[in-house]
Amino acid sequence: MAFLADANSQATAAAAARRKVLEGLRTTDVFFRGLTVSSAYFVLILLGAIFASLVVGGYLAFATFGFRFLTTEVWNPVTEQFGALAPIYGTIVTSLIAMLVAVPISIGIAVFLTELCPMGLRRPIGIAIELLAGVPSIIYGIWGLFFFAPVIQRYVQPELIAAFKNVPVLNQLFAGPPYGIGILTSALILAMMVLPFITAVCRDVFETVPPVLKEAAYGMGWTTREVVRNVVIPYTRVGIIGGVMLGLGRALGETMAVTFVIGNAHRISGSILAPGTTISATIANEFTEAVGDVYTSSLIALGLILFFITFIVLALARLMLMRIEKKAGA
Amino acid sequence: MNLMSKDVDTGLTEKITVSNLKFFYGSTLALKNISLPLYERQVTAFIGPSGCGKSTLLRVLNRMYDLYPNQRAEGQVMFDGENVLDMTDLNLLRSRIGMVFQKPTPFPMTIYENIAFGIRLYERLPKSEVDGRVESALEKAALWKEVKDKLHSSGLSLSGGQQQRLCIARTVAIRPEVILFDEPCSALDPISTAKVEELIDELKNEFTIAIVTHNMQQAARVSQRTAFMYLGELVEFGVTQKLFTNPSDKRTQDYITGRFG
Amino acid sequence: MALDIAKYRRRRLRSTITVALCWAASALGLTILGVILATLLYKGIAGFGPKVFTEMTPPPGSDGGLLNAIAGSLVMTIAGVIVGTPIGILAGTYLAEYGRYSKVSSVIRFINDILLSAPSIVTGLFVYELLVRPMGHFSAFAGAAALAVLVIPTVVRTTENMLLLVPNQLREASSALGLPQSLVIRKVAYKAARAGMITGVLLAVARVSGETAPLLFTALNNQFWSTNLNAPMASLPVVIFQYALSPYEDWQRLAWTGALLITAAVLTLSIAARWLSSSRTQQ
Repeated sequence: MAFLADANSQATAAAAARRKVLEGLRTTDVFFRGLTVSSAYFVLILLGAIFASLVVGGYLAFATFGFRFLTTEVWNPVTEQFGALAPIYGTIVTSLIAMLVAVPISIGIAVFLTELCPMGLRRPIGIAIELLAGVPSIIYGIWGLFFFAPVIQRYVQPELIAAFKNVPVLNQLFAGPPYGIGILTSALILAMMVLPFITAVCRDVFETVPPVLKEAAYGMGWTTREVVRNVVIPYTRVGIIGGVMLGLGRALGETMAVTFVIGNAHRISGSILAPGTTISATIANEFTEAVGDVYTSSLIALGLILFFITFIVLALARLMLMRIEKKAGA
Repeated sequence: MNLMSKDVDTGLTEKITVSNLKFFYGSTLALKNISLPLYERQVTAFIGPSGCGKSTLLRVLNRMYDLYPNQRAEGQVMFDGENVLDMTDLNLLRSRIGMVFQKPTPFPMTIYENIAFGIRLYERLPKSEVDGRVESALEKAALWKEVKDKLHSSGLSLSGGQQQRLCIARTVAIRPEVILFDEPCSALDPISTAKVEELIDELKNEFTIAIVTHNMQQAARVSQRTAFMYLGELVEFGVTQKLFTNPSDKRTQDYITGRFG
Repeated sequence: MALDIAKYRRRRLRSTITVALCWAASALGLTILGVILATLLYKGIAGFGPKVFTEMTPPPGSDGGLLNAIAGSLVMTIAGVIVGTPIGILAGTYLAEYGRYSKVSSVIRFINDILLSAPSIVTGLFVYELLVRPMGHFSAFAGAAALAVLVIPTVVRTTENMLLLVPNQLREASSALGLPQSLVIRKVAYKAARAGMITGVLLAVARVSGETAPLLFTALNNQFWSTNLNAPMASLPVVIFQYALSPYEDWQRLAWTGALLITAAVLTLSIAARWLSSSRTQQ
């Protein structure tokens, strides 16, 4: 019994020593936790602050022009008359054309990577496509200006103009001299930029399709096309849309690649071969040279509009991707 | 193996006393009014089919469930005169009630660091003394001979059985009073299992031990007391030999004779 | 039966066409990458030489290099990463550890994902309003701040993902030794997730070092050598932008060389990051 009592008192002494050590650690514990909590909230504050700064900066423009700011095409630094319609139009049109081009190709590559590609090549090709995503946008810009635009000007645009010369409606769309730079070229560059993003998302969501589903379909004698069309794509539809929206968000906000090749013309033209401008290109080109508060404020107001549009697109994208993640997890 | 066929009340100290313990996952009642003692320096085994609540019970004893949301316990778990469920210093509690898990969980550090890490947390010792403690912990876990020449290679380089003994050494090194084993052999081969069982038998001379196991033979081999649990209830608790040879509850009988589970 | 075979042939043909289109799409993607890299090499090598690393950006018509731009990019990228990384890691830690099950976390996660792909030019406007306008002048300091804003969401994302990959058993095992949660995180979870977290930081560096838009009206540009963080500073992307759009041929040549440099740096970083995260699994 004496031995037990001794052991007990030893244990109590050890416990007391430990309690002291742990109490010392508690301060660090609370401090560290506090650091992580405040950093996490900082992310929220960051978004709020970005939004607030744009509202404050763009306030003067909205106060001066009111709702007209969104609906007029005029952009005249001399008379200090500004309307956002041309850049908004350019932003949306270039992004939409980019998506039209990029989405089918991205889905094709994703199908290739998940269904067709020989195992040994999957990783290298996947990495190559991801590297395409890592190339800085200014590289696309300079490449687009010096390499791609001349190619388009020489070989593609004359063909388009000639081909649609006598087709009503389309001859308006493909009208005018082949400048090289312009809406179409920007859209194609954007398509190249968002391609890897959409591909990566599509590949990831395709991989969430349970193999048994595909095996069952192949087991019934379906062809690859039928499996993709009737099993893979329906199963992952929400995820694909999410990926497309993510790509659209990128395309809408992309600055440098577009700035080089859009032509910076503040007008809305019926032809997609004509030069135009986008919100981000306008800001990048004019911000440092803007004189006068109204001019600067109008550019910041453009930024606010861009932020707002991309916020909605990206939020929808995330919501859709979250839905498919839940499905994959369940 | 079973030396303690004495009566429950004969001179054994209750190290932990569980009374009227209820446990909830959200609104699901997972443990229904459990009451039982864990005797000092004895091995108590918990058996029962999967989902019967045996692991849950173990995770109440060191408040492991606190790591997750929506889990709570009601009742009393007395440990040296204090209710575990009321304790606020969980780190202290866990340093006194150690735990070894189903899958070996070596930390991503060297073998030496895996053990020295816990020691250094609680005590500021000169290096030579830490070395000694590491060695004695590895000795106690019957691992010293196998690893003494590669103390500074990664703990992940060991085999599964060695990793599990490393985890036992790590737990022993910080000198807890109670050690909880949560199916410690279910991921091990038969030879490693035999080693771990031997080790548990050894360790009971110094520690109070609770072990959850799927394997009834294992429970019979290593424990002095056994608790059979079924659907969140404690069906039967008693001296291991008696429970396995002459169970008093029909359900225990059915389970140990392999009629379900 | 004959009819069935005809139908089967048609199905197979259609499938073959689809498969061929998928191959073509992949070939197109790889061709684009190939053509971009080839153009960069061809045009970039032309202006390449020791001068690029030893001389300042020249006025039009004279000889020069990119030294001040390279230095400026390094300084601002490093400063941005130093400021952004700790915040990103701590916030990611909150999302994966302390706040894993909390509602606030899902909101923060959502917002962070939006910041991750928000237009970078907006970041530039934000920092302009926040720092440049109150300070009254452009500065490297503001440039670094804009880059830090871009670093944070990337690091938050990868840190959280990597910590979520750390098995819960490891957390339970270290808690079972009585470790306070902050030590469980710092000594065990961080260690287990280290390679992945470094990968995340490298990817953030890669992303940020090629960014142009947020620097245009924060750090602006500087024709000369400057180490003053409180003054405008040159950076490779901004110099490329300015020189490429200029009518001077020697400026354009330097722009191509800068583009080659920056692409090489960014691709090296991304490949290193990938290699690191794949070697982690073998460890």
